[in-house]
Amino acid sequence: MSVLTVENLSKSYGRIQALKNVSFSVPEGTIFGILGPNGSGKTTTLGTITDILKPTSGTYKLFDEPASAASRRKIGTLLETPNFYHYLSGVKNLEIAAEIKQHGKEDINRVLEMVDLTRRKDSKFSTYSLGMKQRLAIASCLLGSPSVLVFDEPTNGLDPVGIAEIRELMKRLYREGKTIIMASHLLDEVEKVCTHVAILKRGELITSGKVNEILSNEDIVELSAADNTKLFEVLKGMGNPSKVVDENAVIKIYFPVGTADLSAINNFCFNNGIILNHLILKKKSLEARFFELTNN
Amino acid sequence: MLHLLRIEWLKVKNYKAFWVFTILYSFAILGINYTGFYVNELAVQNMPASQMLLGTPYAFPKVWQTVGFMSSWLLYFPGILFIMLFTNEFNFKTHRQNIIDGWTRKEFVTVKFVFAIIFSAVATIFNFLVALLFGLITTGSHFSFAGIENVGYIFIQTVAYITFAMFLAILFRKSGAAIAVFFLYGLIFEWLITVLINFQMKLTPVGYFLPLQVTDVMLPIPFGDKVIYKGAPDPWILVVVSLAYIGAYYFFALKKFTKEDL
Repeated sequence: MSVLTVENLSKSYGRIQALKNVSFSVPEGTIFGILGPNGSGKTTTLGTITDILKPTSGTYKLFDEPASAASRRKIGTLLETPNFYHYLSGVKNLEIAAEIKQHGKEDINRVLEMVDLTRRKDSKFSTYSLGMKQRLAIASCLLGSPSVLVFDEPTNGLDPVGIAEIRELMKRLYREGKTIIMASHLLDEVEKVCTHVAILKRGELITSGKVNEILSNEDIVELSAADNTKLFEVLKGMGNPSKVVDENAVIKIYFPVGTADLSAINNFCFNNGIILNHLILKKKSLEARFFELTNN
Repeated sequence: MLHLLRIEWLKVKNYKAFWVFTILYSFAILGINYTGFYVNELAVQNMPASQMLLGTPYAFPKVWQTVGFMSSWLLYFPGILFIMLFTNEFNFKTHRQNIIDGWTRKEFVTVKFVFAIIFSAVATIFNFLVALLFGLITTGSHFSFAGIENVGYIFIQTVAYITFAMFLAILFRKSGAAIAVFFLYGLIFEWLITVLINFQMKLTPVGYFLPLQVTDVMLPIPFGDKVIYKGAPDPWILVVVSLAYIGAYYFFALKKFTKEDL
Protein backbone atom coordinates (compact mmCIF):
# COMPACT_ATOMS: atom_id res chain seq x y z
CA MET A 1 0.00 0.00 0.00
CA SER A 2 1.13 3.53 -0.68
CA VAL A 3 0.69 5.90 2.20
CA LEU A 4 0.85 8.88 -0.11
CA THR A 5 0.67 9.13 -3.87
CA VAL A 6 1.27 12.45 -5.58
CA GLU A 7 0.41 12.71 -9.27
CA ASN A 8 1.46 15.58 -11.53
CA LEU A 9 1.12 18.09 -8.74
CA SER A 10 1.60 21.72 -9.78
CA LYS A 11 1.18 24.88 -7.77
CA SER A 12 1.66 28.46 -8.92
CA TYR A 13 1.63 31.67 -6.96
CA GLY A 14 0.88 34.13 -9.71
CA ARG A 15 3.79 33.78 -12.11
CA ILE A 16 5.96 31.84 -9.69
CA GLN A 17 5.67 28.10 -10.16
CA ALA A 18 6.35 26.53 -6.80
CA LEU A 19 5.71 22.98 -7.97
CA LYS A 20 5.96 21.63 -11.49
CA ASN A 21 4.34 18.29 -12.27
CA VAL A 22 5.68 16.52 -9.25
CA SER A 23 4.85 12.81 -8.93
CA PHE A 24 6.09 10.31 -6.39
CA SER A 25 4.73 7.78 -3.99
CA VAL A 26 5.59 6.90 -0.42
CA PRO A 27 5.60 3.18 0.38
CA GLU A 28 4.30 2.04 3.75
CA GLY A 29 6.86 1.51 6.50
CA THR A 30 9.56 3.83 5.19
CA ILE A 31 11.18 7.03 6.35
CA PHE A 32 10.65 9.11 3.28
CA GLY A 33 12.74 12.26 3.00
CA ILE A 34 11.79 15.18 0.80
CA LEU A 35 15.11 16.85 0.24
CA GLY A 36 15.84 20.15 -1.40
CA PRO A 37 17.32 23.57 -0.82
CA ASN A 38 15.23 26.42 0.59
CA GLY A 39 12.41 27.37 -1.74
CA SER A 40 12.46 24.11 -3.64
CA GLY A 41 8.81 23.29 -2.88
CA LYS A 42 9.06 20.93 0.09
CA THR A 43 6.60 22.76 2.33
CA THR A 44 4.35 23.49 -0.65
CA THR A 45 4.16 19.75 -1.30
CA LEU A 46 3.33 18.97 2.32
CA GLY A 47 0.90 21.92 2.54
CA THR A 48 -0.99 20.58 -0.44
CA ILE A 49 -1.39 17.06 0.90
CA THR A 50 -2.71 18.44 4.21
CA ASP A 51 -5.32 20.63 2.45
CA ILE A 52 -3.70 23.89 3.54
CA LEU A 53 -2.85 24.82 -0.04
CA LYS A 54 -4.98 24.23 -3.10
CA PRO A 55 -3.00 22.71 -5.99
CA THR A 56 -3.19 24.46 -9.35
CA SER A 57 -3.38 21.05 -10.99
CA GLY A 58 -2.69 17.43 -10.18
CA THR A 59 -4.01 15.04 -7.57
CA TYR A 60 -2.88 13.25 -4.44
CA LYS A 61 -4.11 10.28 -2.49
CA LEU A 62 -3.70 9.27 1.13
CA PHE A 63 -3.86 5.56 1.93
CA ASP A 64 -4.76 4.91 -1.73
CA GLU A 65 -7.95 6.94 -1.37
CA PRO A 66 -8.86 10.53 -2.21
CA ALA A 67 -7.77 12.61 0.78
CA SER A 68 -10.32 13.69 3.39
CA ALA A 69 -10.48 15.14 6.89
CA ALA A 70 -10.80 11.57 8.18
CA SER A 71 -7.55 10.52 6.50
CA ARG A 72 -5.80 13.60 7.94
CA ARG A 73 -6.86 12.52 11.43
CA LYS A 74 -4.83 9.35 10.91
CA ILE A 75 -1.67 11.36 10.21
CA GLY A 76 0.35 13.35 12.72
CA THR A 77 1.59 16.45 10.95
CA LEU A 78 4.03 19.20 11.84
CA LEU A 79 4.02 21.74 9.03
CA GLU A 80 6.58 24.55 8.87
CA THR A 81 6.19 26.02 12.37
CA PRO A 82 4.60 24.85 15.62
CA ASN A 83 1.06 26.31 15.49
CA PHE A 84 -0.52 26.64 18.91
CA TYR A 85 -2.69 29.02 20.93
CA HIS A 86 -0.16 31.29 22.61
CA TYR A 87 -2.36 31.99 25.62
CA LEU A 88 -2.92 28.32 26.44
CA SER A 89 -0.59 25.93 28.25
CA GLY A 90 1.11 23.08 26.44
CA VAL A 91 -1.29 20.53 27.85
CA LYS A 92 -4.40 22.61 27.01
CA ASN A 93 -3.14 22.97 23.45
CA LEU A 94 -2.74 19.23 23.20
CA GLU A 95 -6.29 18.77 24.53
CA ILE A 96 -7.59 20.76 21.57
CA ALA A 97 -5.47 18.80 19.10
CA ALA A 98 -6.56 15.50 20.67
CA GLU A 99 -10.24 16.50 20.44
CA ILE A 100 -9.90 17.46 16.77
CA LYS A 101 -8.13 14.19 16.04
CA GLN A 102 -10.94 12.49 18.01
CA HIS A 103 -8.65 10.87 20.55
CA GLY A 104 -9.10 10.98 24.28
CA LYS A 105 -7.01 12.96 26.72
CA GLU A 106 -5.33 9.85 28.14
CA ASP A 107 -2.56 9.95 25.53
CA ILE A 108 -1.41 13.47 26.38
CA ASN A 109 0.88 12.63 29.30
CA ARG A 110 2.55 9.85 27.32
CA VAL A 111 3.46 12.10 24.37
CA LEU A 112 4.63 14.91 26.66
CA GLU A 113 6.89 12.41 28.36
CA MET A 114 8.22 11.24 25.00
CA VAL A 115 9.43 14.73 24.10
CA ASP A 116 10.53 15.54 27.64
CA LEU A 117 8.08 18.39 28.23
CA THR A 118 6.25 17.03 31.28
CA ARG A 119 7.81 19.54 33.66
CA ARG A 120 6.64 22.51 31.61
CA LYS A 121 3.28 21.17 30.47
CA ASP A 122 1.29 23.73 32.45
CA SER A 123 3.29 26.75 31.28
CA LYS A 124 1.81 28.94 28.63
CA PHE A 125 2.94 28.18 25.09
CA SER A 126 4.12 31.79 24.72
CA THR A 127 6.75 31.20 27.42
CA TYR A 128 8.30 28.23 25.61
CA SER A 129 11.68 28.40 23.93
CA LEU A 130 11.91 27.66 20.22
CA GLY A 131 13.09 24.12 20.92
CA MET A 132 10.25 23.49 23.38
CA LYS A 133 7.70 24.74 20.87
CA GLN A 134 9.12 22.35 18.32
CA ARG A 135 8.99 19.49 20.80
CA LEU A 136 5.37 20.30 21.69
CA ALA A 137 4.53 20.18 17.98
CA ILE A 138 6.17 16.77 17.71
CA ALA A 139 4.24 15.62 20.79
CA SER A 140 1.03 16.76 19.12
CA CYS A 141 1.91 14.67 16.05
CA LEU A 142 2.34 11.61 18.25
CA LEU A 143 -1.13 11.87 19.83
CA GLY A 144 -3.08 8.68 19.28
CA SER A 145 -0.03 6.88 17.83
CA PRO A 146 -0.83 7.55 14.17
CA SER A 147 0.61 5.11 11.64
CA VAL A 148 1.88 7.96 9.49
CA LEU A 149 3.83 11.03 10.59
CA VAL A 150 4.66 14.08 8.51
CA PHE A 151 7.50 16.26 9.76
CA ASP A 152 8.54 19.46 8.06
CA GLU A 153 12.08 20.36 9.17
CA PRO A 154 11.60 18.51 12.48
CA THR A 155 14.96 19.44 13.98
CA ASN A 156 14.55 23.16 13.31
CA GLY A 157 15.46 25.21 16.35
CA LEU A 158 16.68 22.26 18.41
CA ASP A 159 20.06 22.07 20.08
CA PRO A 160 22.44 19.21 19.20
CA VAL A 161 21.09 17.01 21.98
CA GLY A 162 17.53 17.71 20.87
CA ILE A 163 18.42 16.96 17.26
CA ALA A 164 19.92 13.63 18.22
CA GLU A 165 16.85 12.80 20.34
CA ILE A 166 14.43 13.58 17.54
CA ARG A 167 16.43 11.53 15.05
CA GLU A 168 16.50 8.66 17.50
CA LEU A 169 12.75 9.05 18.00
CA MET A 170 12.13 8.88 14.26
CA LYS A 171 14.21 5.74 13.94
CA ARG A 172 12.30 4.22 16.85
CA LEU A 173 8.97 5.06 15.23
CA TYR A 174 10.25 3.53 12.00
CA ARG A 175 11.20 0.33 13.83
CA GLU A 176 7.67 0.27 15.27
CA GLY A 177 6.44 0.08 11.68
CA LYS A 178 5.30 3.64 11.22
CA THR A 179 5.72 5.57 8.01
CA ILE A 180 7.47 8.91 8.33
CA ILE A 181 7.47 11.60 5.68
CA MET A 182 10.08 14.22 6.43
CA ALA A 183 11.04 17.39 4.61
CA SER A 184 14.55 18.63 5.13
CA HIS A 185 17.16 20.83 3.52
CA LEU A 186 19.85 18.98 5.43
CA LEU A 187 21.37 16.30 3.29
CA ASP A 188 23.17 14.88 6.29
CA GLU A 189 19.86 14.47 8.13
CA VAL A 190 18.20 12.66 5.24
CA GLU A 191 21.20 10.42 4.80
CA LYS A 192 21.29 9.56 8.50
CA VAL A 193 17.59 8.99 9.03
CA CYS A 194 15.73 8.23 5.81
CA THR A 195 15.27 5.02 3.84
CA HIS A 196 13.78 6.72 0.78
CA VAL A 197 14.20 10.18 -0.68
CA ALA A 198 12.69 12.51 -3.25
CA ILE A 199 14.88 15.41 -4.29
CA LEU A 200 13.25 18.67 -5.28
CA LYS A 201 14.82 21.62 -6.97
CA ARG A 202 12.94 24.80 -7.86
CA GLY A 203 9.66 22.94 -7.78
CA GLU A 204 10.79 20.06 -9.93
CA LEU A 205 11.34 16.50 -8.86
CA ILE A 206 14.94 15.62 -9.71
CA THR A 207 14.80 12.03 -8.61
CA SER A 208 13.22 9.72 -6.06
CA GLY A 209 13.99 6.28 -4.73
CA LYS A 210 15.97 4.48 -2.06
CA VAL A 211 18.51 6.60 -0.22
CA ASN A 212 21.38 4.13 -0.60
CA GLU A 213 20.85 4.11 -4.36
CA ILE A 214 20.44 7.83 -4.87
CA LEU A 215 22.77 9.28 -2.31
CA SER A 216 25.33 6.51 -2.42
CA ASN A 217 28.89 7.48 -1.78
CA GLU A 218 31.03 6.66 -4.74
CA ASP A 219 34.73 6.01 -5.12
CA ILE A 220 36.26 7.95 -7.96
CA VAL A 221 39.53 6.97 -9.53
CA GLU A 222 41.26 9.64 -11.53
CA LEU A 223 43.84 8.54 -14.06
CA SER A 224 45.57 9.54 -17.25
CA ALA A 225 48.13 8.30 -19.76
CA ALA A 226 49.97 9.66 -22.78
CA ASP A 227 47.04 8.77 -25.00
CA ASN A 228 43.84 9.39 -23.06
CA THR A 229 41.57 8.52 -25.99
CA LYS A 230 43.01 5.05 -26.17
CA LEU A 231 42.92 4.76 -22.38
CA PHE A 232 39.23 5.67 -22.41
CA GLU A 233 38.44 2.95 -24.98
CA VAL A 234 40.37 0.37 -22.98
CA LEU A 235 38.73 1.30 -19.68
CA LYS A 236 35.26 0.89 -21.14
CA GLY A 237 36.13 -2.77 -21.55
CA MET A 238 36.81 -3.10 -17.82
CA GLY A 239 34.18 -5.03 -15.90
CA ASN A 240 33.12 -3.49 -12.60
CA PRO A 241 33.02 0.34 -12.61
CA SER A 242 29.62 2.04 -12.66
CA LYS A 243 30.70 4.72 -15.11
CA VAL A 244 33.72 6.04 -16.98
CA VAL A 245 33.96 9.71 -17.87
CA ASP A 246 36.49 11.35 -20.19
CA GLU A 247 37.33 14.80 -18.88
CA ASN A 248 40.13 15.45 -21.42
CA ALA A 249 43.01 16.05 -19.01
CA VAL A 250 42.02 13.12 -16.84
CA ILE A 251 39.64 10.20 -17.01
CA LYS A 252 37.41 9.43 -14.05
CA ILE A 253 36.13 6.00 -13.15
CA TYR A 254 33.25 5.68 -10.66
CA PHE A 255 33.01 2.66 -8.40
CA PRO A 256 30.48 1.64 -5.75
CA VAL A 257 31.84 2.45 -2.31
CA GLY A 258 34.86 0.41 -1.34
CA THR A 259 35.25 -1.52 -4.59
CA ALA A 260 37.96 0.52 -6.27
CA ASP A 261 41.22 -1.39 -6.44
CA LEU A 262 44.06 0.77 -7.73
CA SER A 263 46.56 -2.00 -8.28
CA ALA A 264 44.01 -4.02 -10.25
CA ILE A 265 43.33 -0.98 -12.47
CA ASN A 266 47.00 -0.38 -12.96
CA ASN A 267 47.53 -4.00 -13.84
CA PHE A 268 44.56 -4.01 -16.24
CA CYS A 269 45.88 -0.96 -18.10
CA PHE A 270 49.43 -2.35 -18.26
CA ASN A 271 48.15 -5.63 -19.66
CA ASN A 272 46.31 -3.65 -22.33
CA GLY A 273 49.46 -1.83 -23.36
CA ILE A 274 48.90 1.44 -21.54
CA ILE A 275 51.26 2.95 -19.05
CA LEU A 276 49.57 5.29 -16.62
CA ASN A 277 51.19 8.56 -15.63
CA HIS A 278 48.54 9.49 -13.10
CA LEU A 279 46.44 7.31 -10.80
CA ILE A 280 44.66 8.53 -7.70
CA LEU A 281 41.64 7.49 -5.58
CA LYS A 282 39.17 10.25 -4.62
CA LYS A 283 36.26 9.80 -2.27
CA LYS A 284 33.20 11.71 -3.32
CA SER A 285 31.43 13.58 -0.59
CA LEU A 286 27.66 13.50 -0.17
CA GLU A 287 27.60 17.26 -0.44
CA ALA A 288 29.22 17.05 -3.85
CA ARG A 289 26.60 14.51 -4.85
CA PHE A 290 23.83 16.76 -3.58
CA PHE A 291 25.18 19.75 -5.47
CA GLU A 292 25.51 17.62 -8.55
CA LEU A 293 21.86 16.64 -8.23
CA THR A 294 20.55 20.09 -7.52
CA ASN A 295 22.76 22.21 -9.75
CA ASN A 296 21.45 22.66 -13.28
CA MET B 1 -21.76 20.06 15.96
CA LEU B 2 -21.75 19.60 19.74
CA HIS B 3 -18.26 18.13 19.52
CA LEU B 4 -17.06 21.06 17.40
CA LEU B 5 -18.56 23.51 19.87
CA ARG B 6 -16.82 21.76 22.75
CA ILE B 7 -13.49 22.27 20.98
CA GLU B 8 -14.36 25.92 20.25
CA TRP B 9 -15.14 26.33 23.95
CA LEU B 10 -11.72 24.86 24.87
CA LYS B 11 -10.15 27.63 22.80
CA VAL B 12 -12.27 30.37 24.34
CA LYS B 13 -12.73 29.48 27.99
CA ASN B 14 -9.08 30.06 28.94
CA TYR B 15 -8.78 33.20 26.85
CA LYS B 16 -8.62 36.05 29.33
CA ALA B 17 -9.74 38.70 26.85
CA PHE B 18 -12.95 36.74 26.26
CA TRP B 19 -13.96 37.05 29.91
CA VAL B 20 -12.74 40.64 30.25
CA PHE B 21 -14.78 41.68 27.21
CA THR B 22 -17.84 39.70 28.24
CA ILE B 23 -17.85 41.08 31.78
CA LEU B 24 -17.25 44.65 30.60
CA TYR B 25 -19.98 44.22 28.02
CA SER B 26 -22.45 42.99 30.66
CA PHE B 27 -21.67 45.86 33.01
CA ALA B 28 -21.87 48.30 30.13
CA ILE B 29 -25.36 47.07 29.20
CA LEU B 30 -26.46 47.58 32.80
CA GLY B 31 -24.65 50.90 32.99
CA ILE B 32 -25.90 52.47 29.78
CA ASN B 33 -29.49 51.53 30.59
CA TYR B 34 -29.17 52.77 34.15
CA THR B 35 -27.85 56.07 32.78
CA GLY B 36 -30.77 56.32 30.37
CA PHE B 37 -33.22 55.39 33.12
CA TYR B 38 -31.75 57.90 35.58
CA VAL B 39 -31.55 60.78 33.09
CA ASN B 40 -35.14 60.16 32.08
CA GLU B 41 -36.33 60.13 35.73
CA LEU B 42 -34.44 63.38 36.40
CA ALA B 43 -35.85 65.05 33.32
CA VAL B 44 -39.40 64.08 34.16
CA GLN B 45 -38.98 65.15 37.83
CA ASN B 46 -37.52 68.56 37.00
CA MET B 47 -39.58 69.25 33.91
CA PRO B 48 -42.78 67.22 33.93
CA ALA B 49 -43.63 68.59 30.50
CA SER B 50 -40.71 66.68 29.00
CA GLN B 51 -42.74 63.49 29.37
CA MET B 52 -44.82 64.71 26.45
CA LEU B 53 -41.77 64.33 24.24
CA LEU B 54 -39.96 61.41 25.86
CA GLY B 55 -42.92 59.23 26.75
CA THR B 56 -42.16 56.54 29.29
CA PRO B 57 -39.19 54.73 27.69
CA TYR B 58 -38.38 52.50 30.68
CA ALA B 59 -41.94 51.51 31.42
CA PHE B 60 -43.64 48.47 29.88
CA PRO B 61 -44.22 48.01 27.00
CA LYS B 62 -41.69 50.53 25.67
CA VAL B 63 -38.82 49.20 27.82
CA TRP B 64 -38.12 46.23 25.49
CA GLN B 65 -37.35 48.61 22.64
CA THR B 66 -35.54 51.16 24.82
CA VAL B 67 -33.13 48.60 26.26
CA GLY B 68 -32.56 47.19 22.76
CA PHE B 69 -31.80 50.64 21.42
CA MET B 70 -29.50 51.64 24.27
CA SER B 71 -27.60 48.34 24.27
CA SER B 72 -27.14 48.43 20.52
CA TRP B 73 -24.49 51.12 20.99
CA LEU B 74 -22.42 48.54 22.83
CA LEU B 75 -22.41 45.92 20.08
CA TYR B 76 -18.90 47.02 19.14
CA PHE B 77 -17.71 45.15 22.27
CA PRO B 78 -18.68 41.66 21.12
CA GLY B 79 -17.79 42.69 17.57
CA ILE B 80 -14.18 43.39 18.55
CA LEU B 81 -14.09 40.25 20.67
CA PHE B 82 -15.11 38.06 17.75
CA ILE B 83 -12.69 39.83 15.41
CA MET B 84 -9.94 38.94 17.91
CA LEU B 85 -11.11 35.34 18.26
CA PHE B 86 -10.95 34.96 14.50
CA THR B 87 -7.72 36.85 13.78
CA ASN B 88 -6.00 35.01 16.66
CA GLU B 89 -6.33 31.87 14.57
CA PHE B 90 -4.62 33.60 11.66
CA ASN B 91 -1.88 35.02 13.90
CA PHE B 92 -1.17 31.70 15.58
CA LYS B 93 -1.69 29.80 12.28
CA THR B 94 -3.99 27.55 14.26
CA HIS B 95 -6.54 27.84 11.44
CA ARG B 96 -4.03 25.76 9.49
CA GLN B 97 -3.32 23.37 12.33
CA ASN B 98 -7.02 22.70 12.97
CA ILE B 99 -7.40 21.63 9.33
CA ILE B 100 -4.15 19.63 9.40
CA ASP B 101 -5.32 17.84 12.53
CA GLY B 102 -8.56 16.80 10.89
CA TRP B 103 -11.25 19.46 10.73
CA THR B 104 -12.73 20.30 7.37
CA ARG B 105 -12.49 23.91 6.31
CA LYS B 106 -16.27 24.14 6.44
CA GLU B 107 -16.34 22.90 10.03
CA PHE B 108 -13.81 25.56 11.04
CA VAL B 109 -15.97 28.41 9.68
CA THR B 110 -19.34 26.98 10.66
CA VAL B 111 -18.50 26.42 14.32
CA LYS B 112 -17.34 30.05 14.61
CA PHE B 113 -20.71 31.26 13.29
CA VAL B 114 -22.67 28.87 15.49
CA PHE B 115 -20.66 30.02 18.51
CA ALA B 116 -21.45 33.64 17.58
CA ILE B 117 -25.16 32.79 17.47
CA ILE B 118 -24.99 31.12 20.88
CA PHE B 119 -23.12 34.09 22.32
CA SER B 120 -25.78 36.39 20.86
CA ALA B 121 -28.53 34.30 22.43
CA VAL B 122 -26.91 34.64 25.85
CA ALA B 123 -26.49 38.39 25.34
CA THR B 124 -30.16 38.61 24.35
CA ILE B 125 -31.24 36.79 27.50
CA PHE B 126 -29.18 39.23 29.53
CA ASN B 127 -30.81 42.17 27.74
CA PHE B 128 -34.21 40.63 28.44
CA LEU B 129 -33.41 40.44 32.15
CA VAL B 130 -32.13 44.03 32.18
CA ALA B 131 -35.31 45.23 30.44
CA LEU B 132 -37.40 43.27 32.93
CA LEU B 133 -35.52 44.84 35.83
CA PHE B 134 -35.89 48.43 34.63
CA GLY B 135 -39.50 47.86 33.58
CA LEU B 136 -40.34 46.65 37.06
CA ILE B 137 -38.58 49.44 38.97
CA THR B 138 -40.12 52.20 36.87
CA THR B 139 -42.90 53.80 38.87
CA GLY B 140 -46.36 53.32 37.46
CA SER B 141 -45.20 50.57 35.10
CA HIS B 142 -47.07 47.27 34.86
CA PHE B 143 -45.54 44.14 33.45
CA SER B 144 -46.55 43.42 29.89
CA PHE B 145 -45.35 41.18 27.09
CA ALA B 146 -46.48 43.77 24.54
CA GLY B 147 -43.52 44.74 22.38
CA ILE B 148 -41.66 41.55 23.29
CA GLU B 149 -40.78 41.15 19.58
CA ASN B 150 -38.12 43.75 20.29
CA VAL B 151 -36.21 41.09 22.23
CA GLY B 152 -36.18 39.05 19.03
CA TYR B 153 -34.82 42.10 17.21
CA ILE B 154 -32.06 42.42 19.82
CA PHE B 155 -31.04 38.85 19.02
CA ILE B 156 -31.01 39.42 15.26
CA GLN B 157 -29.12 42.68 15.63
CA THR B 158 -26.48 41.11 17.90
CA VAL B 159 -25.94 38.25 15.46
CA ALA B 160 -25.78 40.71 12.56
CA TYR B 161 -23.12 42.90 14.23
CA ILE B 162 -20.97 39.97 15.33
CA THR B 163 -21.14 38.11 12.02
CA PHE B 164 -20.40 41.35 10.17
CA ALA B 165 -17.32 41.74 12.39
CA MET B 166 -16.25 38.15 11.67
CA PHE B 167 -16.74 38.76 7.98
CA LEU B 168 -14.32 41.71 8.27
CA ALA B 169 -11.89 39.53 10.23
CA ILE B 170 -11.79 36.89 7.52
CA LEU B 171 -11.53 39.57 4.84
CA PHE B 172 -8.62 41.48 6.40
CA ARG B 173 -7.01 38.72 8.51
CA LYS B 174 -5.40 41.38 10.73
CA SER B 175 -7.23 42.46 13.88
CA GLY B 176 -6.09 46.08 13.62
CA ALA B 177 -7.42 46.55 10.10
CA ALA B 178 -10.67 44.73 10.79
CA ILE B 179 -11.38 46.67 14.02
CA ALA B 180 -10.56 50.02 12.39
CA VAL B 181 -12.86 49.35 9.44
CA PHE B 182 -15.59 48.05 11.76
CA PHE B 183 -15.57 51.26 13.84
CA LEU B 184 -15.15 53.73 11.00
CA TYR B 185 -17.79 52.09 8.89
CA GLY B 186 -20.31 51.46 11.67
CA LEU B 187 -20.01 54.77 13.50
CA ILE B 188 -19.31 57.20 10.67
CA PHE B 189 -19.44 56.03 7.10
CA GLU B 190 -22.65 54.06 7.22
CA TRP B 191 -24.51 57.04 8.65
CA LEU B 192 -22.97 59.22 6.00
CA ILE B 193 -23.98 56.87 3.21
CA THR B 194 -27.50 56.53 4.62
CA VAL B 195 -27.92 60.29 4.76
CA LEU B 196 -26.52 60.67 1.25
CA ILE B 197 -28.79 58.02 -0.22
CA ASN B 198 -31.94 58.96 1.67
CA PHE B 199 -31.78 62.72 1.78
CA GLN B 200 -29.27 63.88 -0.76
CA MET B 201 -30.39 61.50 -3.51
CA LYS B 202 -33.92 61.27 -2.10
CA LEU B 203 -33.96 57.50 -2.43
CA THR B 204 -35.62 56.72 0.95
CA PRO B 205 -35.82 54.00 2.17
CA VAL B 206 -32.87 52.52 0.20
CA GLY B 207 -30.36 53.96 2.69
CA TYR B 208 -31.99 52.01 5.51
CA PHE B 209 -30.92 48.74 3.95
CA LEU B 210 -27.18 49.06 4.63
CA PRO B 211 -25.75 46.09 6.60
CA LEU B 212 -25.72 47.54 10.11
CA GLN B 213 -28.24 50.30 9.54
CA VAL B 214 -30.98 47.84 8.69
CA THR B 215 -30.74 46.38 12.19
CA ASP B 216 -30.53 49.83 13.78
CA VAL B 217 -33.78 50.84 12.09
CA MET B 218 -35.33 47.67 13.52
CA LEU B 219 -34.67 48.98 17.06
CA PRO B 220 -35.08 52.74 16.64
CA ILE B 221 -34.69 55.42 19.29
CA PRO B 222 -37.81 55.08 21.51
CA PHE B 223 -38.97 58.68 21.00
CA GLY B 224 -38.94 60.79 17.88
CA ASP B 225 -38.23 57.75 15.72
CA LYS B 226 -40.95 58.72 13.28
CA VAL B 227 -38.91 61.85 12.54
CA ILE B 228 -35.44 60.33 12.59
CA TYR B 229 -36.33 57.21 10.62
CA LYS B 230 -38.88 58.83 8.36
CA GLY B 231 -40.22 56.42 5.77
CA ALA B 232 -38.68 53.33 7.38
CA PRO B 233 -39.88 50.00 5.97
CA ASP B 234 -42.02 47.55 7.95
CA PRO B 235 -40.16 45.61 10.65
CA TRP B 236 -40.70 42.26 8.93
CA ILE B 237 -38.90 43.54 5.83
CA LEU B 238 -36.01 44.70 8.03
CA VAL B 239 -35.91 41.27 9.68
CA VAL B 240 -35.79 39.48 6.34
CA VAL B 241 -33.04 41.75 5.03
CA SER B 242 -31.02 41.37 8.26
CA LEU B 243 -31.24 37.59 8.05
CA ALA B 244 -30.20 37.75 4.40
CA TYR B 245 -27.10 39.74 5.39
CA ILE B 246 -26.20 37.21 8.08
CA GLY B 247 -26.59 34.40 5.56
CA ALA B 248 -24.44 36.32 3.09
CA TYR B 249 -21.63 36.82 5.65
CA TYR B 250 -21.60 33.09 6.34
CA PHE B 251 -21.73 32.22 2.67
CA PHE B 252 -18.91 34.60 1.81
CA ALA B 253 -16.72 33.48 4.72
CA LEU B 254 -17.28 29.87 3.76
CA LYS B 255 -16.47 30.51 0.13
CA LYS B 256 -13.31 32.44 0.93
CA PHE B 257 -12.11 29.94 3.50
CA THR B 258 -12.80 26.81 1.45
CA LYS B 259 -11.43 28.01 -1.87
CA GLU B 260 -8.21 29.78 -0.95
CA ASP B 261 -4.82 28.80 0.41
CA LEU B 262 -4.75 29.09 4.18
